[in-house]
Amino acid sequence: MKNKMPKNFSKEEIDLIEMGKFYFISGKYDEAIAEFEKVIKINPKNADAYFNVGMVKEAKNDSSGAKKMYEKTLEIIPDHKTAKKHLDKLVGL
Amino acid sequence: MEQIAVIGLGTFGIVVAKELSKKGIQVLAIDTNEQKIQEISSVVTQAVVSDSTDEKAMRELGLTDFGAVVVAIGDNREASILTTLILKEIGVKNIIVKGLDDLHAKVLQKIGADKIVFPERDMGEKLSEMLVSPNIIEKIELSPDYDMVEVIAPQSFIDKTIKDIDVRAKYKLHIIGIKRKAPYIKDDGETDFKEELLIAPSASEILQDGDAIIIIGRYADIDKVKKL
Repeated sequence: MKNKMPKNFSKEEIDLIEMGKFYFISGKYDEAIAEFEKVIKINPKNADAYFNVGMVKEAKNDSSGAKKMYEKTLEIIPDHKTAKKHLDKLVGL
Repeated sequence: MEQIAVIGLGTFGIVVAKELSKKGIQVLAIDTNEQKIQEISSVVTQAVVSDSTDEKAMRELGLTDFGAVVVAIGDNREASILTTLILKEIGVKNIIVKGLDDLHAKVLQKIGADKIVFPERDMGEKLSEMLVSPNIIEKIELSPDYDMVEVIAPQSFIDKTIKDIDVRAKYKLHIIGIKRKAPYIKDDGETDFKEELLIAPSASEILQDGDAIIIIGRYADIDKVKKL
């Protein structure tokens, strides 16, 4: 599996993101969010963490929470295509 | 292949024409505005500049061979009524007209419109329902008493089986489907999820966080569940 995570993230951030993703695909949404939030605490500029929290919140039907997270992702990476796609869908575009 | 004509290319008419084209229907788009016709010409089978209140022009389009004609004129009630009348005179089989208000709808019914739709009214009802009950995703009225509703599964239902929740006995409702998110990791490492539909779930099915349930029942009973 390729991973497009930028190299300037610390190993700890990468590991936590991977753990969060594991929880997410296992359907453990709250645990997944907890891992991604740890990343945000370490590095508030980690767009991947915000994006993943957005994805989990959307899966949990928390649209407004997901929207905020996608917006945050786009503040850091304005051309994040998947975040933009999901945000547009939630807003109704 | 079925052919459908759309008369009037306002926002509503354009969406109807585009969506029908996407579904593989042969669409004839008609409007008096040349620019609008040019804009839609690449999307539909045929687009013509024509005045729908001109009976001769309408006869020449061969609309009697069409499965349906949608009158989507939204800003001119006289033109809408006259167009409907002409289509009826010509012998068009299925005339669907965008209604503007009750009086307009009554006139349309008297002159033989087969179906009158109110997109703004329907959307207004849907939006108000959405604002009052944010947990309701979709609602279909099956009869004046019974609704089919897609609703976010209440937190108290999560991690329980359908048998344990027992909505049939407690609320006189039937869960006929579950919409469930299936998260996955794409080849590039990014997360995403698909939505799966479980039709007629078994009693042993456990509801999960993020599930939406599709239920059938009386409106008053559904109301109790959406407040949970």
